[in-house]
Amino acid sequence: MRTILKLGKQEHRFIDRISELSGENVYSCYQCGRCSAGCPMAFEMDILPNQLIRLVQLGEEEALIASKTLFICASCFTCQSRCPKGINIANVAEAIRYLAEPKGKDHFGPDEVPAELADELP
Amino acid sequence: MKLHYYPGCTLKEKTTNLDESTYAAMKMLGYELVEPENWTCCGAEFPLNEEKIVGLAAPARILRQVEMEGGDKVVTACAFCFNVLKQTHIALLNDPLKQKRINAYLKDDIRIDPVTKERTTDFPEYRGDVQVLHLLEFIQKEIGYEKVRSLIRRDLGNLRAAPYYGCRLLRPKGETGIDEPDDPSIFEEFLESIGIGVVDFPFKQECCGSYLSVSLPDAASEVSYRILRSAKLNGADMVVLSCPLCYYNLDRRQDRIREKFLEFTGMPVLFFTQILAWALGVEAEILGLDQHFFDPRPVLGITDKAEVAS
Ligand code: SF4
Ligand code: SF4
Repeated sequence: MRTILKLGKQEHRFIDRISELSGENVYSCYQCGRCSAGCPMAFEMDILPNQLIRLVQLGEEEALIASKTLFICASCFTCQSRCPKGINIANVAEAIRYLAEPKGKDHFGPDEVPAELADELP
Repeated sequence: MKLHYYPGCTLKEKTTNLDESTYAAMKMLGYELVEPENWTCCGAEFPLNEEKIVGLAAPARILRQVEMEGGDKVVTACAFCFNVLKQTHIALLNDPLKQKRINAYLKDDIRIDPVTKERTTDFPEYRGDVQVLHLLEFIQKEIGYEKVRSLIRRDLGNLRAAPYYGCRLLRPKGETGIDEPDDPSIFEEFLESIGIGVVDFPFKQECCGSYLSVSLPDAASEVSYRILRSAKLNGADMVVLSCPLCYYNLDRRQDRIREKFLEFTGMPVLFFTQILAWALGVEAEILGLDQHFFDPRPVLGITDKAEVAS
């Protein structure tokens, strides 16, 4: 069976925008999986960090915006310190969140922090 | 000796034990800490997004103030503030365009004195010359472990501490960290210099769950517990750290962790400056040890208020 992947204008625009916002070269990822192996939050994610990058390469904007992973990434930069290509997935996740926000997708606002936590939370 | 010190908001409002122990320890080491005048919040997180360049304005303003006061370096004790200031320093140093854009913001600053209502404008450009150091780096590079060793007044040789780096002291990998992200040793060296036993444990640079303790508390309890358990299994009497958020997750949330992991019996969590000040002979009362969820006083042998230096 032959599968042909074709990226249209819209996908290219999405990928370019993500690269621009995140400052990361998403094309350089070769799916080694080191990011997901070391990610402390992977156990909660629906899309693993390496899969997130792959979906960006494929221009899968909708699947990315729908994923829980966007708001589970703790921005700990472990993936960035281990990636052989130096990709910072926290920055890429932030770029996707940035594009998701105008589409009404947000996860947690400051006003939702329980009052008893607000007093001592840094 | 005078030294510029940026405390950050959390240290004044919430984890005052980190701020006060920093002042006390540095005094014992011969330094008078000076806070840059009119300092503000650093923003707490360096912008992850290339288009949120305005996020660099607040930290750059702090660095400019240090420069205006004639300082060439600023130290921080909070890992988050350190990370923001250091990343800002690097971004402005390596990217002349960013430096220009930020200076364009800062140029229009107006400061109004709250009492006299006098307006100050025409601030100078920030040239990017202020070095940002975490206190652990300052101790390693400028004070020296020999000097610290010579000033130790309490013997902590029978205790074992697990140094917990977390994320913000080490990453992102590159110029930011105070040591190699996957093989750091600066915290261990520091602890050795104050004469306390050091525990190596595999979770020392794992994330504590960060703000997921608010949005996904169960997941955060799980990652925090992994760290505490690992320290315990390796024989630690306490975990020592530098970040107010790690402290919140690892100490203040121990009740939540215990609800989920019944076998967990608790673990004292201390700021590195508290254990430093304690080793240097500072009295217990000014270290804010009563603010902790898990009381660290018993493990330090403090049973009574009136503890005398040995
Ligand atoms: S570690 Fe880097 S190159 Fe490897 S899969 Fe993850 S993002 Fe791709
Ligand atoms: S920054 Fe996000 S994706 Fe990367 S290791 Fe940390 S939690 Fe995982």
